[in-house]
Amino acid sequence: MKLKNRGYHICFAVIVIILALTPLLLSAGVISSSSFVLFLGKCIAFSIVAIGLDLIWGYTGILSLGHGLYFALGGYAMAMFLKLKATDGNITSFMQTGGMTELPLIWRPFLSAPFAMILVIAVPAVLAGVIGFFIFRNRIKGVYFSIISQALTWAAYSLFTGLQSYTGGNVGITEITSLLGSIKGDSNRGKMFIMFYSSLAILVLIYVLSGFLTQRKFGKLLIAIRDGENRTYFSGYCVSRYKNFIYVLSAVFAAIAGAVFVNFNGSITPAQMTISYSITMLIWVAVGGRGTLVGAVLGAFLINICDYNFSSGTMVEIWQYILGAIFVLTILFFKGGLVGIVRDQLPEWTKKLIRGEVE
Amino acid sequence: MTQFVNTVFNCVSLSSIILLTSLGLAITFGLMKVINMAHGEFLMIGAYMTYVVQNFFEKFFPESIFSLYYFFSLIAAFAVTFFFGAVLERFVISRLYGREVDSLLATWGISIILQQAARSVFGMQGVNVKAPSFLDGGISIGSCTFSYNRIFILCMVILCMVLVWYIMYQSNFGKQMRAVMQNRAMAQCMGINSRKVDMITFSFGSGLAGLAGCSVALLGSIDSTIGQSYIVNSFIAVVLGGVGKLLGTVLGSSIIGSASIGIENYTSASIAKAAVLLIVIVVLQFRPQGLFTVKSRKLDE
Repeated sequence: MKLKNRGYHICFAVIVIILALTPLLLSAGVISSSSFVLFLGKCIAFSIVAIGLDLIWGYTGILSLGHGLYFALGGYAMAMFLKLKATDGNITSFMQTGGMTELPLIWRPFLSAPFAMILVIAVPAVLAGVIGFFIFRNRIKGVYFSIISQALTWAAYSLFTGLQSYTGGNVGITEITSLLGSIKGDSNRGKMFIMFYSSLAILVLIYVLSGFLTQRKFGKLLIAIRDGENRTYFSGYCVSRYKNFIYVLSAVFAAIAGAVFVNFNGSITPAQMTISYSITMLIWVAVGGRGTLVGAVLGAFLINICDYNFSSGTMVEIWQYILGAIFVLTILFFKGGLVGIVRDQLPEWTKKLIRGEVE
Repeated sequence: MTQFVNTVFNCVSLSSIILLTSLGLAITFGLMKVINMAHGEFLMIGAYMTYVVQNFFEKFFPESIFSLYYFFSLIAAFAVTFFFGAVLERFVISRLYGREVDSLLATWGISIILQQAARSVFGMQGVNVKAPSFLDGGISIGSCTFSYNRIFILCMVILCMVLVWYIMYQSNFGKQMRAVMQNRAMAQCMGINSRKVDMITFSFGSGLAGLAGCSVALLGSIDSTIGQSYIVNSFIAVVLGGVGKLLGTVLGSSIIGSASIGIENYTSASIAKAAVLLIVIVVLQFRPQGLFTVKSRKLDE
């Protein structure tokens, strides 16, 4: 067990080192485009949300089809602050078209930086806390939870597209720069690197925190809930409280990821709030390997890098087929994802191979 | 008065559309406990089949019998989605019985593939179906107008309901089906081929999605995302009604349909949609098993 964990941590360390080297490679001219580094920044955000999803799905067995909601809430909160920074606190163009003359009340708190940063975390945390409290107390679980989370996301999506003058509707909040100002282009490379490394630091922090949680008794309890919820109840644990805690925690991770994402992406749209986007996040976790933190990170990077390379040009159509097929095959045959293949299936195959040769 | 009658008609009409799209789910999800995320894509296939059959008729048959294409498209849609359902059951679902959450994700992968296939074959742009001539216009009673389109869908729903009811509760196959779903081991001991029953049940549910797709093709343009716009409401309708109860699905769909229209009178469509879903989520907090529950003392249901 100890050895395995060390393997995971080494694997994660390798990923982090590679990431940390990319800005240097860009400076040295090995990587030609700075947009690739920006893209890797987004991947860091994706792997943060993947860790959150892995905590509730891989460890606790709660399948949420609505983490896009929390991702987008964090993203929107950050984007609202950045947008007000860009307009110097004046009302935005979509508010003007909506017929507003002064800043609506819900935008007011985002004028101050510390308050906005608190809201990035507080809004999703409170929402997830309230929803989780009722859902888990009423012992709604399994697919019923999934369907409710899906409906919730759909409802929030309709709301955000419907309230055009408050949220920018389908277009979302665009034309914003990062916290440090513009990070695009060669002249702003220094700022981009700072942004990149601080995001990487957040990822490492979240990984360490999650690793700390999952290796303790708490982590064992989560797995116990996944494998036998009633038995855990009967052992005297208040399962709903544990579930609610981990749900809120993963929502917060998703929100942080959303906030990081906005800084690199320069816009946030309701598309990040859709059900299909939420399930895409699950694909990352499933392919990388659920139940191991490094699997989630690995999956988020691999799928997104493939997506980045294939989603333009001639591969677009085929990529969608491949993505669907990978997902189906992973669920059907490789429950542990890539990590599972390396950990369980490869040793088995080699064992068989060796035995075959002996015979 | 006129407005009231119109509102009631709209309620009934929207409820019937939701019911039509959830009937198939009531079988695959309600009875078999399989979450088929590709159900919406089966609906899409049904809608595209209508378009294909229509084009076929336009090309090869005289104009006088063009309107008849719709009846053939119903058959074609049912047959094709039945076949797709059988294939999906055989190669994917059958490996995932008892792993409900995994079947949800695997079928999502299938739905990605099917959506892309629709885009590759029919293009990104939505296509439109010409409604058969006998569905043009509507009847006017007093100052209210009821379009034939909507009335036709209402009739479709009733027809499908009767069909499902007959197959489930009157036919020999339905008896076998319910036996397998209630107690698989015992049913197998009685000599029922449970693999075959599973496959036909799932295919039948998928076929109903095809019929639903055929009907919604009349309502607007068809594109690769048409299934997604119906699927969330359908799932919620089935859960709200109570899983495994046909009557529950009817009630669930009516509540969602009527509430949508009712709230829409006061605000915009998208906010009404959000409000209805939130109300349903709140209701489910009080009745987590849905409105109609199958009484059971089992711990894990």
